[in-house]
Amino acid sequence: MLFSKKNKTGFEGGGLVLFQAVEEAIAAEKILKSGNYDVKLVAPPPTLRKGCDLAVEINITEKPGIERCLLSKDANFAEILPLKGAGELLDIVKVKNFDNACMIKAGNMKLTFDKKTGMILNISGGGCPDIPFLHISMLDKKLTEVSSPKKNGYTLCALMLDRAFTEALEIWNRRNG
Amino acid sequence: MLLICGTIPLDNMSVITGKAQFDNNKLFVENAEIPCTQGTAALISAACVTAQHLKSSPPHVILAGDTGKGKGSHLLYDYLINNLPRFHTDVLLMHYILPIMGQMKNVLAAKAKCKKKPVLMADASSMYAAKAAGLAPEFDIFTPDLCELAFLADPDAVHPAYIKHHLFSAEDSQAKDLIGAAYKQKGAAKILIAKGATDYVVEKGKIVFVISEPDIPALEAIGGTGDTISGMTGAMIDAGMTQMDSAMAALKANRKAGELVNATPATKIRQLIAAIPDALKNLL
Repeated sequence: MLFSKKNKTGFEGGGLVLFQAVEEAIAAEKILKSGNYDVKLVAPPPTLRKGCDLAVEINITEKPGIERCLLSKDANFAEILPLKGAGELLDIVKVKNFDNACMIKAGNMKLTFDKKTGMILNISGGGCPDIPFLHISMLDKKLTEVSSPKKNGYTLCALMLDRAFTEALEIWNRRNG
Repeated sequence: MLLICGTIPLDNMSVITGKAQFDNNKLFVENAEIPCTQGTAALISAACVTAQHLKSSPPHVILAGDTGKGKGSHLLYDYLINNLPRFHTDVLLMHYILPIMGQMKNVLAAKAKCKKKPVLMADASSMYAAKAAGLAPEFDIFTPDLCELAFLADPDAVHPAYIKHHLFSAEDSQAKDLIGAAYKQKGAAKILIAKGATDYVVEKGKIVFVISEPDIPALEAIGGTGDTISGMTGAMIDAGMTQMDSAMAALKANRKAGELVNATPATKIRQLIAAIPDALKNLL
């Protein structure tokens, strides 16, 4: 049972990397451990199984960093999912206009840019440790001159910020294209 | 003592601990300058200026450098878990730390060993970890915004990125429904300080305070305006105010500070923090 083991080790990550083959799971575990991620080989619940009865349990908050780590080593995996819920990341964005600024909300993240200059005025919301770093990296720079948060972030908050950034860039490009 | 735990956006900085000081718009911990940005630095800065105003002790902090890779967060959890019982903590405020459910359980186990049980506050990712681990009712205060309120109301979500679409679509007018659902799902702390166009203070599911004036929509855009509310609340409780009075005063002061600086979407959090002492003058 997945959950009986957790209590013994203290690791409870809330997410799984799923695979088509056992050897893929074993290879991925090794890659992620060498990348300093806390992970554990587990048997996935039948409802999440993707062809192989071995999965790697991860801290689901670290999904973007883990995905990047696996792809950089050409590791094969089927999907990364949370253990609970429908497993779909929020893909809705909301737009709020101020006089001279536009704020994009994606999940718990908000990015606000100057409508005339495209300058990123503020980033608010979120709570994972890469957000203050991304905040410093992106603030007072133009939307067109910064890297996407997905490239430099490691957490789901960074992924939500990336969605807000992508939408902001699209709006900016539509208006100035 | 108010003990604030969180990460700051620096690589290669191990755990540092000590008293925080905020002078001339700069934040120092044991003579090391910490960049005053959105996040835990903004929270500590707001706590410092509030403590100065109330003539109480400055906050004690445990910080670690983490830009998202998680190493600093792991060090911070370990340090806190190993040392919490020896600190004489009145208020423990946990903030930007990589959410690790197992480690949050260990923090609560360490708290149980404290002779005097501290008031337990969580904001940002520490609130995510507490809720995801099923520990929310063990906490005294959470400080969610509207999206985070939806996260607390969603029984399955382990992070706000996974909340159900209909919950994310909720508007400010539906905040009361989300508050009710959060308590029903045991996703809420004893007190919620819910931030939005209208702010709510909720105790055990009952809304006891509502504020929507002065109405400053730009505050939502400014990174750190939730952090300042948490920092002020923690400092006020540490100074001897009740949890409810602290929550209400912090919400009023945040809006007043926004008014004093004529906040726009371009205003930076350090400008708002600089206005907190004047905002507090009219309140406390």
